Formats: sequence, C-alpha cells, structure tokens
Amino acid sequence: MALSLEEQSFADRTITAHAGRPGALLGILERVQEHHPHKFLSSEILEYVAAKTDVPLSQLYSVVTFYALFNLEPQGDHTICICRGTACHTRGSRSLLQRLRLELGLPEESEDGADKLCMTTPDRKYSLRTVACFGQCALAPVVEVDHAIFGHMNEQTLHREVEHLTKEKKK
Amino acid sequence: MPENISIRIDGEYVAAQEGQTILEVARAGGKYIPTLCWLAGTSSVGACRLCIVEVSGVGRLLPACTTPVQDGMSVTTTSEKLTQYRRIAIEFLFSERNHVCAVCVSNNHCELQAMAQKLGVTSVRYPYAYPKLGVDVSHPRYVLDHNRCILCTRCVRVCTEVEGAHVWDVSGRGIRSMIVCDMNRPWAQASSCTNCGKCVQVCPTGALAEKGFAVDEMVKQDHNMTRLTARRGGHS
Ligand code: SF4
Ligand code: SF4
Ligand code: FES
Ligand code: FES
Repeated sequence: MALSLEEQSFADRTITAHAGRPGALLGILERVQEHHPHKFLSSEILEYVAAKTDVPLSQLYSVVTFYALFNLEPQGDHTICICRGTACHTRGSRSLLQRLRLELGLPEESEDGADKLCMTTPDRKYSLRTVACFGQCALAPVVEVDHAIFGHMNEQTLHREVEHLTKEKKK
Repeated sequence: MPENISIRIDGEYVAAQEGQTILEVARAGGKYIPTLCWLAGTSSVGACRLCIVEVSGVGRLLPACTTPVQDGMSVTTTSEKLTQYRRIAIEFLFSERNHVCAVCVSNNHCELQAMAQKLGVTSVRYPYAYPKLGVDVSHPRYVLDHNRCILCTRCVRVCTEVEGAHVWDVSGRGIRSMIVCDMNRPWAQASSCTNCGKCVQVCPTGALAEKGFAVDEMVKQDHNMTRLTARRGGHS
C-alpha cells in the first residue's frame, strides 16, 4: 500500500519540526504513529522516515522493536491493557487476561519471555495488550481501558467495562 | 595530548594513556585477556562478558574492553573467580541457542568452541532454550543461521563502521533479540549490502558462513580484516 500524500506531508513536517534535536527520531516516530488512524507504523512509513532522516533501515527497525510503545500492526478502535506485573499477577491478572481472550475470541499465545503481548481482533474493534507494571500496584489488579485506569478489577467488572465499550459503539 | 598514566596489571606496572581501555593497555603490554565480542578496529560493546577483570576497590567485575583506565588502577586478569565467571558466560551462550558443533559449518574453526575448550568448559549446567529460529539462505553467496548466533554484534559493527553499509542491527530485546537485516527483510533484498563478506569473516561462530561448505569446512579468512582494521588505526 503506497503512502498517501497527506501522510507524506505530515511526516515531512514532523521531521522538519524535530530537525537537529537530540532524540529526534523517537519523537518523530511517536508523532507519526499517533497520526495514523490505526495508531501504527507501516513498513511504508518507516521506509519513508528512514530515507528522509538518513537513518539506516536496520537501525530504525531496531528502535521500533526495542520500545514497546511502537506498534507495527494496525491497532483496534479500543485498547484494553492488562497489567502483568508481579503485584497484579499475584492478584489474578492471568485469569483476567484469559477471560478477555475468550470473550474477544483471541488465540492463546504463550507469554513466555514476551515482554509485551499485543493482539487485535480481526474486525479491528479491540486490541488486547499487556504491560509490566502501571506503577499503581496498590490498586492491583489494574486494567487500562482506552487510557482510563481501573483498579481492583475482577472478571465481572472487566466484562462490564468491555460491554460498555460495545454499547457505546452501537449508539 | 592524552595524559600519560600508570596502572598495575597483575602486579606489574604498565604505562597507559588516558582514554584507553583496560583491554588495550593489557594487549599492548602483552597480557592476555579472553574476548569474544571485541573486534579490532570497531567500537566495543561489552556484550559477551568474557573479558571481565577484577579491579581492586571495585566490588563487581568489569569488562576490560569497555572500561577506561584510571591512574593508579590495579587490575587482576586471571584468578579462580574470573575463570568461574568466564565459564558461566560461555555456558549461558551455549544454553541459549543451538550450538551442536558436530553439525556446524564452523566446527573446529569457531571462536566460541575454541574459547570453551580453552576455559575448560566440559558441560553446561543450565537447561538449553533451543528456540527454533530461521535460517536466511536468500543471499547468493552467504547464509545466516540465527540458531548459531551469539548476538556479539560483530557483524553489525563491521558492516556499519568498516564497510559503511549498516545492513545489520539488533531487533527486539532480551531473550527475543535477533540480528535483523534492513527492515526485517531477507538478506538478498538488502538494498545496502555490497556483498563484501566482511560480516561473514568476522562472525565468531557458524552463524554467518559462506555457502558451499560442508560441516567443518568453513575456515574464516579474517587476515584481510585485520589488515583493514589496522589501517583504520586499530583502536578498539
Ligand atoms: S556482505 Fe558486507 S555489506 Fe553485506 S551485510 Fe555483510 S558486511 Fe554488510
Ligand atoms: S551473526 Fe555472527 S557476528 Fe553477527 S551477532 Fe551473530 S554471532 Fe555475532
Ligand atoms: S504490578 Fe500491576 S500496577 Fe504494578
Ligand atoms: S570482549 Fe569485552 S565484553 Fe565481550
């Protein structure tokens, strides 16, 4: 899929705005990702940014796969992020994850060694992710639904939040 | 002018210059410190931890290839403790991916294997991870077998700093780290590769090899590299 002119000019403007600043690359990539309706970096845009900033392709790929912040796949309309840190784990975040996976019909994927898990439903309505700790351990288990933090979650309350999202969509 | 200083290596006084690393000073003084990721003429990254030394007054072991010398420093390069830790470093490398030497192109010409023998590693105490990783055979002359890679990044550095092509880099992190070509493309599609073969020659293991060699046959031709890097100043 080729880049639209609009995407190109947004990338150009962002690159110019960041020119010469230390750590510019991260800022550029973050803006460009945020600009995309599906909040991700396509290989086309990465190649475009690499060419414009003179960063070797492999180095750019290294950066975007190092930071959990960057998505290389299109994200869903809603993002549900389950904390898999120690505190939340001991308070049952694994079953929250399993439950949600079943509810959204997402495949079982081993968490082994993965520092982040990110799956999107085929209809691109929901993305399910994990993080290593929100820094809100007193509220464990913690789940973030579209940037709002919910503490002391259980399967029922989580189910209700997700249902709420679905209803919101319908109206 | 960098200042002249003096440090002690295994009890002997050695002249050094500010800005040099412990490894450089030791090598210049004819002292042997084992290394694996270090590659003459390229930057040091401290990835393999084989060059660890003891510095008196410092509680932890320091990598000689990245630690700058300081006036009055006293360094120990050989001890029972260091050998123990160097063996552990090798065992970790062995347990991470598939290093079954008997079926490797670089059998008998492998720096990892040689180092293990030198340090007397006879068994691995840790469970093997052995993930099933890919092999990139797309390049007409070379192959990359991720299963043999120890992530020393020599290929990344030689391609970037000596050849100037920057075809390779490291993707992901932690246990998921992998050497990656361009935007995770097959090697044959790397627009920047000049087919120079430098990465293949400096790879310490059988991860990068020339095609057409059977098990045991791939002898690295790294003397050309040594000449090139020496011309570049030979700094580490
Ligand atoms: S063959 Fe040369 S240019 Fe190609 S990846 Fe290896 S070092 Fe880089
Ligand atoms: S391919 Fe070879 S040189 Fe490159 S990181 Fe792996 S072991 Fe080191
Ligand atoms: S472990 Fe979940 S917020 Fe810290
Ligand atoms: S040679 Fe120093 S860490 Fe590898």
